[in-house]
Amino acid sequence: MGRTEDKQQRWLKQASEHALRNVTRRHFLKESRTGIGMMALGSFLAGCDWLGSKKDVISAPPMFDPAHPMIPRSPHFTGKAKSVIFLHMAGAPSQLELFDYKPDLHKLDGKDCPESFLEGKKFAFIRGVPKMLGPQSAFKQYGESGIWLSDNLPHFRSVVDEVSILKGVTTDQFNHAPAQLMMHSGSPRLGRPSMGSWVTYGLGSENANLPGFVVLTSGGNNPDAGKSVWGSGFLPSVYQGVQCRSVGEPVLFIKDPAGMDRELRGASIDAINEVNKLAYEEFGDPEILSRISQYEMAYNMQIAVPEIMNINDEPQYIHDMYGTKPGKASFANNILLARKLVEKGVRFVQLFDWGWDMHGTSEDGAIDVGFINKCRSVDKAMTALILDLKQRGLLDETLVVWGGEFGRTPMQENREGKQNPFKGRDHHADAFSMWMAGGGIKKGISFGETDPIGYNVVDGKVSVYDIQATILNQLGFDHEKLTYEFQGRPFRLTDVAGNVIQEIVA
Amino acid sequence: MLKRKYWLIPLVIVIAIAAFSFLLSAPAVSYNTDIKPILNKKCITCHGGVKKKGGFSLLFRDEALDTTESGKRAIVPGDPDASEMIRRLTLKDDDERMPYHKEPLSEHEINLLRRWIKEGAKWGDHWAYVPVQQQKVPEQESFFGLISKKDPWVKNDIDAFIRQKLEENKLKPTAEADKRTLLRRVSLDLTGLPAPKKIADQFLGDTSSEAYERLVDTLLALPQYGERWTAMWLDLSRYADTKGYERDDSRSIWRYRDWLIKAFNEDKPYNQFLTEQLAGDLLPNATDEQILATAFHRNSMTNDEGGTDNEEFRIAAIIDRVNTTWEVLMGSTFACVQCHSHPYDPFKHDEYYKFMAYFNNSRDEDTYADYPLFHEYKKKDSTVFEKLKSWSTSNLSSEDANEITWFLKTWQPAINGLTADQFVNSELSDTKWLLMRKTSSARLNHIDLTNKNQMLIRYMAWPKDGELTLCLDSLNGTEIAKIKIPKANKGWDFLNSAITPTSGIHDVYLKYYSKELKKEIDNGLQFDWFYFTNPFPGKDKPGFDSASSWYDSLLRSPNVEITPVMLDNPDYLKRKQHVFVRGNWMVSGDEVTPGVPGSLTPLPENAPANRLGLAAWITDPKNPLTARTMVNRLWEQIFGQGLVETLEDMGTQGIPPTHRELLDHLSWQFVHEYNWSVKKLVKEMVMSATYRQDSRVSKELLQQDQFNKWYARGPRVRLSAEQIRDQALEVSGLLSKKMYGKSVMPYQPGGIWLSPYNGRLWIKSYGEDQYRRALYTYWKRTAPYPSMISFDGAAREVCTARRVRTNTPLQALTTLNDSVYVEASRHLACDLRKEYKDDVKKMISAGYEKIAGKPIPSNRYLILERLYNTSYIKFKADSVSTCEMIGIQNEFNEPVTAAMVVVTNAMLNLDEVITKN
Repeated sequence: MGRTEDKQQRWLKQASEHALRNVTRRHFLKESRTGIGMMALGSFLAGCDWLGSKKDVISAPPMFDPAHPMIPRSPHFTGKAKSVIFLHMAGAPSQLELFDYKPDLHKLDGKDCPESFLEGKKFAFIRGVPKMLGPQSAFKQYGESGIWLSDNLPHFRSVVDEVSILKGVTTDQFNHAPAQLMMHSGSPRLGRPSMGSWVTYGLGSENANLPGFVVLTSGGNNPDAGKSVWGSGFLPSVYQGVQCRSVGEPVLFIKDPAGMDRELRGASIDAINEVNKLAYEEFGDPEILSRISQYEMAYNMQIAVPEIMNINDEPQYIHDMYGTKPGKASFANNILLARKLVEKGVRFVQLFDWGWDMHGTSEDGAIDVGFINKCRSVDKAMTALILDLKQRGLLDETLVVWGGEFGRTPMQENREGKQNPFKGRDHHADAFSMWMAGGGIKKGISFGETDPIGYNVVDGKVSVYDIQATILNQLGFDHEKLTYEFQGRPFRLTDVAGNVIQEIVA
Repeated sequence: MLKRKYWLIPLVIVIAIAAFSFLLSAPAVSYNTDIKPILNKKCITCHGGVKKKGGFSLLFRDEALDTTESGKRAIVPGDPDASEMIRRLTLKDDDERMPYHKEPLSEHEINLLRRWIKEGAKWGDHWAYVPVQQQKVPEQESFFGLISKKDPWVKNDIDAFIRQKLEENKLKPTAEADKRTLLRRVSLDLTGLPAPKKIADQFLGDTSSEAYERLVDTLLALPQYGERWTAMWLDLSRYADTKGYERDDSRSIWRYRDWLIKAFNEDKPYNQFLTEQLAGDLLPNATDEQILATAFHRNSMTNDEGGTDNEEFRIAAIIDRVNTTWEVLMGSTFACVQCHSHPYDPFKHDEYYKFMAYFNNSRDEDTYADYPLFHEYKKKDSTVFEKLKSWSTSNLSSEDANEITWFLKTWQPAINGLTADQFVNSELSDTKWLLMRKTSSARLNHIDLTNKNQMLIRYMAWPKDGELTLCLDSLNGTEIAKIKIPKANKGWDFLNSAITPTSGIHDVYLKYYSKELKKEIDNGLQFDWFYFTNPFPGKDKPGFDSASSWYDSLLRSPNVEITPVMLDNPDYLKRKQHVFVRGNWMVSGDEVTPGVPGSLTPLPENAPANRLGLAAWITDPKNPLTARTMVNRLWEQIFGQGLVETLEDMGTQGIPPTHRELLDHLSWQFVHEYNWSVKKLVKEMVMSATYRQDSRVSKELLQQDQFNKWYARGPRVRLSAEQIRDQALEVSGLLSKKMYGKSVMPYQPGGIWLSPYNGRLWIKSYGEDQYRRALYTYWKRTAPYPSMISFDGAAREVCTARRVRTNTPLQALTTLNDSVYVEASRHLACDLRKEYKDDVKKMISAGYEKIAGKPIPSNRYLILERLYNTSYIKFKADSVSTCEMIGIQNEFNEPVTAAMVVVTNAMLNLDEVITKN
């Protein structure tokens, strides 16, 4: 076979020498001006740590080197969280049937919405005067914290003392695609990097055999904003999210062609790298050395990725806990994968679950039918995630974020002025709920209040930018300093806004 | 002996005096090199475009010399001691001293500023904003004109400039690369593909000194040249086959790609190339092709998501056009001026909106159909169209004839249903079309009805008995029509009705009623657009009946190719342009009219206040940015990096040019000598000795110039995503040479396209369309073709002025395992087996030569032969794997070929193959 550790070590040593020289790389001097800091040297040796030794990252501000873009880098300060799992319920679940208990809304059920609520307001589908719609589920207080939860989340109540619920989240977009982009890229338009891209740009990847930013989808559709919600925008494309799939190849092109086994692939990569080594001796181009290490990494990824994407070998109690059934692109499977991924050092795992847009145009889209089924499909698994992370001692260093792209109206939707056939709610940007857990977030907190019908935030109002600033903060970033120069100015995830939500930071 | 040196004495004295007087009259402080860097680094964050702390801004001279909030003048030209700026820089108190609570300026910096103010505080212009001047080509080294030595290395002017910098940096150029390396390099650069065998053989066998030039000329004339440069322009024009945003539905705009290929191939002068793309529709007697060229700016996105504000996304598209125009055509970052004056470059906030005013009167309104569309009739309808055209020309007034053909070509000027307002029991359905219910009304605002006595509508209607009434200026105004609306045929239908002639501009109120509909909320009638016109003319002319039926049939023609294009609003629909306060489109500031930034060259005389005038300004030889940007871009494509590395920004925040004089020299040549010929410019670059150098680099040189910014060696960079794919298909014999046409869908793994509310599927193309060049691959913005993205392709949501090259394991996996590369490996292995039978040595050698473009060196051969042997032993013992490796049941289903597939697959992954050496 000829795959000796010796040879690998020798090449890597040369590659690392190349990386050391790279710090003067002209292209990136530009970065140093923009707040990402004067680039000190990231350790390439740590980047090549696929041989499995303990990581040793030199503490320095991040730096981007296109030859080794995934070198682990240190954030601005030591963050509480090492990784993030963002659970996005695409379509936007109703806060009024989950976390934001509004008994007064019961009394208004079926009554015309007061004109004062409609003046100057624009809705996606509501036209004219809609009727108010009371809460469609029962609420109770749970846990030591006494947090109100609806009966749509029978499992989640057991971990309610682990989470911070934010009831005063607002956005400024009331259509799915722009609002999803807003949540993940800080802009309603296409073209900005997503949060996970910013994080991998800032931190690199802990595990060279796995992508630093993984995306998993369930529910049968991509999110409304498409792959742009995990795109890298103007950041180098290497920082975009890598979609891992439960069905088909777990990562595109990771499977060798039929007829080629591991041994043969190993031999073929050896041959490629040996020829490349000759090319290096001839041309002296350091880029060849990094190509050699990329081929080695590819070979290792081919083992690591399918291994991690396989949940068949998980013990039965784990399957019971999460409600997983191997072989399906289900939310439960994805959430178990998310846990496995962060366990292996993946920085950012983004889950999208499609189908939360309950307008009341069909039974599946009814707040008292379809919605309850959607809740059931996530409740057990997301609860299991918190318990499982906790029992593995990972909850403290893993930030879990849950939410949709906006909220729902306390009014019943009357699309095109007509009462919808089922009970549904329109898009609502002015108040919705999210929760966060682990990663240095306070436990058992409910933060933010809406008015008696859940229409506007009256206290503890936070914006999408604040959510982003807080996530970056937990990872050790000053969100104002994680920037990238583009079109003549430094851009950042939070644009020109954002404050860390100190009230929920432990 | 002593005497003989006396002549030196006067010389020494002269030199001493010269040196002394030089010291006395130190050169004036340069704003650009000495002052601006200090201001940009230390002052401008608080005293610039965004913030003007204390009422002091350093962006423009007039602002900077003005009295500040404190009543003092920060800068008094000629008098540093009276200048508040100097005082504040030198104070002891931390709360008073500038920069505020930051490191103080060094003594040297303060002295520079003092001297600069003393010398009059002159403002200098940034090099890129000053018109290009003719440059003096550096002379060969000479000593007092006594010794002149001609450097044999220098082949053209480029080399003279490069040579000068090399010497300054104590570097020496490298010898010319060997013929095969050069052949592959120049062929990939000019055509994106390895040279065809015939051309290659001709060059390799040609020993004359003109051999290389002949090769270059041959390659420049190949049709693949146009495809290669179009691939570059597609990123710049943000070309995609979908509209973007949530629904990301298809858009038919491939005719624009074909236009580009032809334009590059016929070497359309760059000024003309830009003029047609920016304003082809406004050219006198614009041809169909010139109108199609304007699709350039229709590559902006359209938002079809239900509930979105059409005006918001119309404006988003206009803004995208402004930003693209600046970034792509003029290498400047104008986008920041959207919200505030540029923090570093001399562009004022309102200038953004003046510039935007050029684009703000285009007819597009974020409609679902992407109106306005250019219609090209195909098949039998192209004949019908020609017949109608010739009938109209011979029987009608030219005005009528033009109106008829223009309407059939564009469906303009029509009023889009989505511009209606004052809805009563009506609304914009899915925010796209005007929908009316049982008893309902709505308004069309500001319609010119002068001499119109006919209304054509594109509509859908469900009940049979609908009635539409049109009233002028109010719901109870003068009735100008009462129209029976029949149930529409499947989908959209057309209806022509008479209206009472009137004159002037009016609001038209639409009132609808259908008895048949049961409930008030039941839908009755939906409008796509309204066209106020006249009856089909020429009633008294022979052939009228056929002509008018041709007209009707063309309206409904299914045989039509449509392309979104730029067309301007008719006068009565002209929009006013306001400044958006802090970039917010909802907050209107002052009204502005079209104009260009005052700090750059003025508009050419008589430039009209529309896109054509704008194009005249952009392509004016005095425009400082246009030629430089293109020269820099072409240089980057050929040498791997720009003379200004930041292609997207030549402004003060971009990276300064390494060879400014060369950039200006080439820009001057491009405009004045080559008459904007891109081919001539590209030829000049690839003919240079600089380009032809060997790319091998020694340790010493690498240390001196790691990134080859002084060009002491030839370029060596990884191929682009398109080139990697095209090359693999070409060397394996799979590539289709078919040009033009609709985008194709080569094999793509399942599950890539899952857009909500969009039933469209990736439907694999058949036959040779599987193997077309990458630029023909269907481009979906929210889910681009995977292998393009892994090799740094952009999603093309907005323009991409420069791809940053990365090096990742996902790229390795793509070329190892993507079925395109596996299939190419198989195809080549089978061919080799067919040709060389059992001669393994020949198979490996020939395969390598085909793929790498050079004979296989023995050290490579040994490695690949070993891989062959390992594979052969394995396949020999495993017939199932052998069969799988070959993929299909055929005569090659045997271990030798299977082993060769492994070898060719490895070859396609070699660094020397995916890199231009």
